[in-house]
Amino acid sequence: MANEFPFEISPMFEGERVRKDDMFVELAGPKSRGFELVRAAGVDEIEDGKFTLIGPDLSQMQEGSRHPYAMIYRVAGKLVEPDLEAIVERRNHDFQNYIQGYMHLNQRYDVWVRINKDAIKKGLASFEQIAKATMMLFKNELSFIEKIDATYITDPDEVEKRREEAIKIYEARDARTRGLHDEDVDVFYGCTLCQSFAPTNACVVTPDRISLCGAINWFDGRAAAKVDPEGPQFAIPKGEVIDPIGGEYSGVNEKAVALSGGEYSRIKIHSFFEYPHTSCGCFEVVGFYIPEVDGIGWVDRDFTGIAPNGLAFSTMAGQTGGGKQIIGFLGVGVNYFRSPKFIQPDGGWKRVVWMPKNLKEKIKADIPPELVDKLPTEENATDLKTLKEFLEKSQHPIMERWKTEEAAPEAEAPSQTQAASGWSMPAPSMPAGMPMMPMQFGGGDGGVKLSFKNAKISIDRIVFKKEK
Amino acid sequence: MTLKKGSFVIEGLENVQINIGKVGAEEEEIAQGPTPRPEIIGLRDWDYRIIDRYNPVYTPTGDTCDFCTYGKCDLTGNKEGACGIDLEGQSARQALMVSIMGAACHSAHGRHLLNYLIKKYGEDFKIDVGPSNLQAPLTETIMGIQPKTIGDFRPVLDYVEEQLTQLIATTNTGQEGAARDFESKALHAGMLDLLGMEVADIIQISCLGFPKSDEKAPMAEIGMGILDPKKPVVICVGHNIAAPAYILDYMDKNGQFDKIEIAGLCCTAHDMTRYNKTAKIIGSMSKELKYIRSGIPDVLVTDEQCVRADILKEAQKLHIPVIATNEKITYGLPDRSNDSVDAIIDDLVSGKQPGVVLLDFEKIGELVPKLAMKMGPIRKAKGLTALPGDEEFKKLVTKCTKCLQCTRDCPQSLPISDAMAAAVNGDLSLFEILHDKCVGCGRCDYSCPADIPVLNVIEKASQRVIREEKGKMRIGRGQIGDPEIREEGRNLVLGTTPGVLAFVGCGNYPDGTKDVYDIVEEMIQRSYIIITSGCSAMDVGMFKDKDGKTLYERYPGRFVKGNLLNTGSCVSNAHIAATTIKVASIFAGRKTKGNWEEIADYVLNRVGAVGIAWGAYSQKAFAIGTGCNRLGIPVVTGPHGTKYRRAFIGKPYRKETWNVLDGRDGSVINIEPAPEHLMITAETKDELMPLLAKLCFRPSDNSLGRAIKLTHYIELSEKYLKKLPDDWHIYVRNEADLPVAKREQLMKLLGEKGWKIDWEKKKILEGPLRKVDVSFQPTNVPRLCKEVKK
Repeated sequence: MANEFPFEISPMFEGERVRKDDMFVELAGPKSRGFELVRAAGVDEIEDGKFTLIGPDLSQMQEGSRHPYAMIYRVAGKLVEPDLEAIVERRNHDFQNYIQGYMHLNQRYDVWVRINKDAIKKGLASFEQIAKATMMLFKNELSFIEKIDATYITDPDEVEKRREEAIKIYEARDARTRGLHDEDVDVFYGCTLCQSFAPTNACVVTPDRISLCGAINWFDGRAAAKVDPEGPQFAIPKGEVIDPIGGEYSGVNEKAVALSGGEYSRIKIHSFFEYPHTSCGCFEVVGFYIPEVDGIGWVDRDFTGIAPNGLAFSTMAGQTGGGKQIIGFLGVGVNYFRSPKFIQPDGGWKRVVWMPKNLKEKIKADIPPELVDKLPTEENATDLKTLKEFLEKSQHPIMERWKTEEAAPEAEAPSQTQAASGWSMPAPSMPAGMPMMPMQFGGGDGGVKLSFKNAKISIDRIVFKKEK
Repeated sequence: MTLKKGSFVIEGLENVQINIGKVGAEEEEIAQGPTPRPEIIGLRDWDYRIIDRYNPVYTPTGDTCDFCTYGKCDLTGNKEGACGIDLEGQSARQALMVSIMGAACHSAHGRHLLNYLIKKYGEDFKIDVGPSNLQAPLTETIMGIQPKTIGDFRPVLDYVEEQLTQLIATTNTGQEGAARDFESKALHAGMLDLLGMEVADIIQISCLGFPKSDEKAPMAEIGMGILDPKKPVVICVGHNIAAPAYILDYMDKNGQFDKIEIAGLCCTAHDMTRYNKTAKIIGSMSKELKYIRSGIPDVLVTDEQCVRADILKEAQKLHIPVIATNEKITYGLPDRSNDSVDAIIDDLVSGKQPGVVLLDFEKIGELVPKLAMKMGPIRKAKGLTALPGDEEFKKLVTKCTKCLQCTRDCPQSLPISDAMAAAVNGDLSLFEILHDKCVGCGRCDYSCPADIPVLNVIEKASQRVIREEKGKMRIGRGQIGDPEIREEGRNLVLGTTPGVLAFVGCGNYPDGTKDVYDIVEEMIQRSYIIITSGCSAMDVGMFKDKDGKTLYERYPGRFVKGNLLNTGSCVSNAHIAATTIKVASIFAGRKTKGNWEEIADYVLNRVGAVGIAWGAYSQKAFAIGTGCNRLGIPVVTGPHGTKYRRAFIGKPYRKETWNVLDGRDGSVINIEPAPEHLMITAETKDELMPLLAKLCFRPSDNSLGRAIKLTHYIELSEKYLKKLPDDWHIYVRNEADLPVAKREQLMKLLGEKGWKIDWEKKKILEGPLRKVDVSFQPTNVPRLCKEVKK
């Protein structure tokens, strides 16, 4: 097929690395400065496809040299809004890596670009060619972009000046992301992308809940829904708030029926026990209820050991997935631990009683400081006995619940009766669907269960003899 | 008194012995699907669904049948034979027989291991294959049980053996006659093959400490140039680890790894490295004759499968004793299992006996290293080799008359006489090229009217490249663990992984082992997940890039896009097929136990996995391929695959065969041909690569997935066939399916084809066969639909 560029453009080149010896120039990166930025602009402000270069062009650069590098795109269109800037910006990495001989690493002010000598030999002579190809890909992929222009900067002073502005923009954007919560928006987004493999799964993506594969946040959902409102990512108007703590909304419930092909009709977005969100198969972490301590443990995919309940990740994950609403297990993306609404109806962080060390390290900053030392890992607790001991010793807030339960034993038992009536579950699966723990406190050496079916056996006497 | 059906009460039991067959089943196994332990026609409905879309196409090598004394019968021109069978039926019967042979091979291998491992470790030895919820996916899906100990596999192999007997029975004259049912039975045999392999590999992984789903398994050395020929050399040939394990243990215990070189040929080599990472690999079956004739081995140990029939004869010429360790291959040698090790060694060293059958593993373990220590110095002193000396070589190449008989007899039609002519002038480069392309069959030796030992000449001329033949292969990892599959799910869904390609099978390549390397390199750069096993896994590791790195060193071994995995020996092929079952279980929550049809239906419609047996030669490879077909996985073979004489070819122009049901309401949807074929051959690697990309299409693809698959299909076709594929547009359902970098150009082409396009919004309005609907639930099985529309 005809190609207007002197290079191939294909996802095949995504993994391509340009090593020092093969490099014509290095742009930005750890030994220089740079950034990439996308800004929303008015349709009239932009001349579509326009490219501006501030500083020397590729053809003026010495082989083996290093330069500062900034890429600024302005996008416009009826559906373009500032909230989409970050989403569009992130694609710069993907698209530029499609270009043969061009390596783009990292994002924002950490970008690091190298251009291969071969690319120069084949005719790459100007940043304009790179910018045009990138803009073409932006417009092809993100149809809400009606107009786009690009300014690339290689002049050191100009990069420095604009970089400071850019950092302020990133900070403002991050503040907006952090400050945006479920209650601040009118629409959530549904994602059914994975129904090609998990036919009944649907994710509800909200500002406080990322998709459980970790790939789609609320802004991603919003961008995709603008590209194709009838596509696999679409708006779900929240409707009325039914349960603000659990995160139940009439709009979500209405959609749940359709999304799941009628499998279920209610979802509480932040609930572990009551109408929990479904789990597909790609979730990064599984939460599991530990009835013996009335707490919730979490185990991630990379943990190869056994959790205190005697089960491995893959065993519990096997109970969790398949796009079903399973009580007692919940699949989530790692980022959900950062959500301020993290299982809030179930006690939030106070209910968390175990997680592997590596996972804990990864999200340490988001664990309430007073709980960090009280939360055991495989180093502190390997079975239910040591778990209970550690929780007691560290005065974990879960102990509050033990007292409550002693006082009113029927109080908790997480609403299984109510749950069971809400949708058709394989069983009222709180107790029944829960794998009973193979280990009991101080239990003997592995008991034997015999079951005789339809048998009448009368035995006068059974004598056990010890083996010699 | 007669005992009738119904209930009765036992009044008393005195002095009663209760025999318990088995203890330990914690809960009753409940099959979740309708076909636990399917009988030979138990899955016939599913087979028909496959066969009706992917019609068997026969390429018989003969048009007569001479199975029984009525014959031989002329079956040309739709004539029936004396028993009433026609050529189609006879061809299908042959497919069944080939499939049975392959299945029997792997299952008998499994049986040998099972009996041995139960004897050694006890039937209660726990299965451990790594982090998996489904530990034995094929066993669960076929048998409806969840094995926990190696003893639990006894009924599994009992089932396989019983079914194989039933199938063999149907091939007798006067039994089955319909081609369609022969094919259904061949598919059954293929499925049994997968099951037999799974048993064999799970029990050896569990008992023998093989890597358990280990993405970071260490590297093993591979190639004809890796051994130090000055040391005594032990070479194990075949597939069964039982005997070599004892040799390795003995050498380990006695600290002999620096004194003796030990390596394997064919899949035994895989399993030796899985057992003890010190072991090395010479290569595939293609290297057997070449390596023996080099004279380097001082002892040859054979077990079973892919062992040349002439090993004893060849070894005898060079005074290499042969120890046959498996009942399946005994070469007419005396069984010395009851004799003392020293007595046997004496007879072998003196040459009184050219080899022995030895079935006692302890004795094998002790004998082989001892024998090597004795044979090594003797043989090396004599400088025994079949290869000609320099002077002899010069004479031999001048004898060539360019009659081309060798080229005609060569399976790869190699231009041998050109190489001879060049060598006369001192140019060995053409021979060096031939060395890689030659599959080492030795047929040329017999065809030369001038009595030139052609293979020896090729090998002599190639000594320089052989010395440099040193690669690396990541040791067989075993299964793909659940956590990896879960992680990769996201890439599969987001379309960043275009598909899973399994390079399996033997070394009968049309144009040398380098092809496999080239194909894998191209596809892995395109982010396909590449899984290898058996001889293909070895050959992938034989070549290096300009930095001296093999593909295994360049690409990690996790089940993630752009990774290169080696599951292990032939029997580990089961894990590749089983991964698709895991996908169905993990992402869709499909019940597995006794639920073959539903799982296979899921795989066929959703999982973009393709098997490639580029050098397939054996009946085993055919059985594996046929088993994969029954599971909904398309398979491509190299050009020699036409000699299997049966393919399963889809016909895109027969629109009615591409109707599927939407599981949500049972409505009928006409789909694009995806996957287009179930078993097909490709002539060249250039033809193969776009075909692989195309065979990854599935009706359930979302637009992200379809766009990336289409990108590679188009790019590979343009790169290797220098044209746009004729049928690319058939796979376009809307504008989002179009490759992002070529969207505009392709849309113009669609416009030229008469599609209606809103150029303003860049949307396709009319043209595609159907719309994209990510929630579409394609199925070929009516009972899986929620409501069946009338």
